[in-house]
Amino acid sequence: MDEKLELSRRKFMEKVTMGIGGLIAAIFGVSAGIFVVKPVLKKEGEGNWLRIGSTGKVTPGTPALFSLKIERETGWITDQDEIMVYAYTENNRDYAVMSNVCTHLACRVRWIEERQEFFCPCHNGIYDKKGDVVAGPPPRPLDRYEVKIENDDIYIKAG
Amino acid sequence: MLNQIMDWLDTRTGWRQVWDGIFLRKVPKVNWLYTLGSATMFIVINQAVTGILLTIYYVPTPDHAYDSVQFISTQVAFGWLIRGLHHWGASAIIVVAFLHMLRVLFLGSYKFPREVTWFTGVGLFLIVIGFGFTGYLLPWDEKAYWATTVGTRIAGTPPLIGDLTLRILRGGQELTAMTLARFFGIHIWWLPAALLVLLGIHLFLVIKHGISTYPTRGKTPNE
Repeated sequence: MDEKLELSRRKFMEKVTMGIGGLIAAIFGVSAGIFVVKPVLKKEGEGNWLRIGSTGKVTPGTPALFSLKIERETGWITDQDEIMVYAYTENNRDYAVMSNVCTHLACRVRWIEERQEFFCPCHNGIYDKKGDVVAGPPPRPLDRYEVKIENDDIYIKAG
Repeated sequence: MLNQIMDWLDTRTGWRQVWDGIFLRKVPKVNWLYTLGSATMFIVINQAVTGILLTIYYVPTPDHAYDSVQFISTQVAFGWLIRGLHHWGASAIIVVAFLHMLRVLFLGSYKFPREVTWFTGVGLFLIVIGFGFTGYLLPWDEKAYWATTVGTRIAGTPPLIGDLTLRILRGGQELTAMTLARFFGIHIWWLPAALLVLLGIHLFLVIKHGISTYPTRGKTPNE
C-alpha cells in the first residue's frame, strides 16, 4: 500500500468527525443564538384597541384627560397598570391622543387651563395644547397614540 | 490561509502540542465501553451550555420560578429544545457516568498508578449527584418541592449533625425562598467550580497515564 492511501483514510475520518462536530455545533449555536435574541426583538408598538371614552367629553380646543387600565406583559409577568392620556380636537372630527409622559425624563405633565399649556414640574418643560414643545428641556413633542373613532367612542392602541 | 493562522498561533502558544497530546495519543486495543468517559464529558458540556442559556430567562424566586420555566418552554424561541436538552441530559448523565464508573471498576482500571484518577472520579460522581439534587428543585413545582422535602429530611436523620445539616441545606427549618436561592447558587456556581477543578485533574491524569489495557487473566493492566 502506498503512503498516499494511508494518509487519506485518516484525513477522511478527520473530515467526517469535524463535519459532524461542526453540524452539532451549528445546530446548537443557531438555536442558542435565536433563543437569546428573538424575545427581545418584540416592538413596543404592538397593543390592542382600547376604549378611553366618548367624543362628547372632549371640548374642541381643550385637551381632555382620560385614564385607562392596561395590562402590560413582560416575560412571564402580567402587570396591571393605569395610564393617563389627553385627547385633543379642533373640529370634532380629527382627534389626537397624547401621552402624559414628559419626553424629557418621563415625569407626568399636567394641563394648566389658565396658561393654556402642559407643564412638567420636574424641569419646567412646557408644551402647547397640541403637545409641541414651547420651552424647557423636552427634546420632542408629547408622544401620540394611534387613534380611531367608532360610534362616538375614542379608541387608542395600547397595552 | 487557515494553516497560516494555525501556524502563527502554534509558534506563540504551542497549541499543537496539546492538541496532539489529546488526539494523537496511543490507545491500546479496547472496546466501545471505553467511550463512556468521553460520552459523560459530552453530556457535561451539554448541561453547561444549555444551563447557561437557561439562566437568561429563569428566575430563582418562589413567585416566579415556575412561570419563568413555563415561559421558556412555551414562549421563547427554541426554549423547548434548550430546556428539554437540559432536562433529559440530567437523567442521561447519571446513567452514563454510572456506567463509566462500572467499566472502570470491573476492568480494574482504578489500580496503580490510576488510584487518584479513581478518587477524583468518585468526587465527580458526587458532584454530578449534587447537580441533580439542586437542579431538581428549581422548577418549584409539586414534584420539586416534595422531592426536596424528602431528600433534606433524609439528610436530617443522622444523630448529632442531622439537625444542623438539614437547616444548612434548607436555609432554615422549612423549604422557603431561602432554600431555592441557595440551591440555585450551589447549582450554578459552587458545583461548577468544584466540577471544573476535579475534572481538570481527572482529565490530566487520564492523558498522563494513558488508557489501561483490557485485563487478561493473571496479569495487571500495566503488563
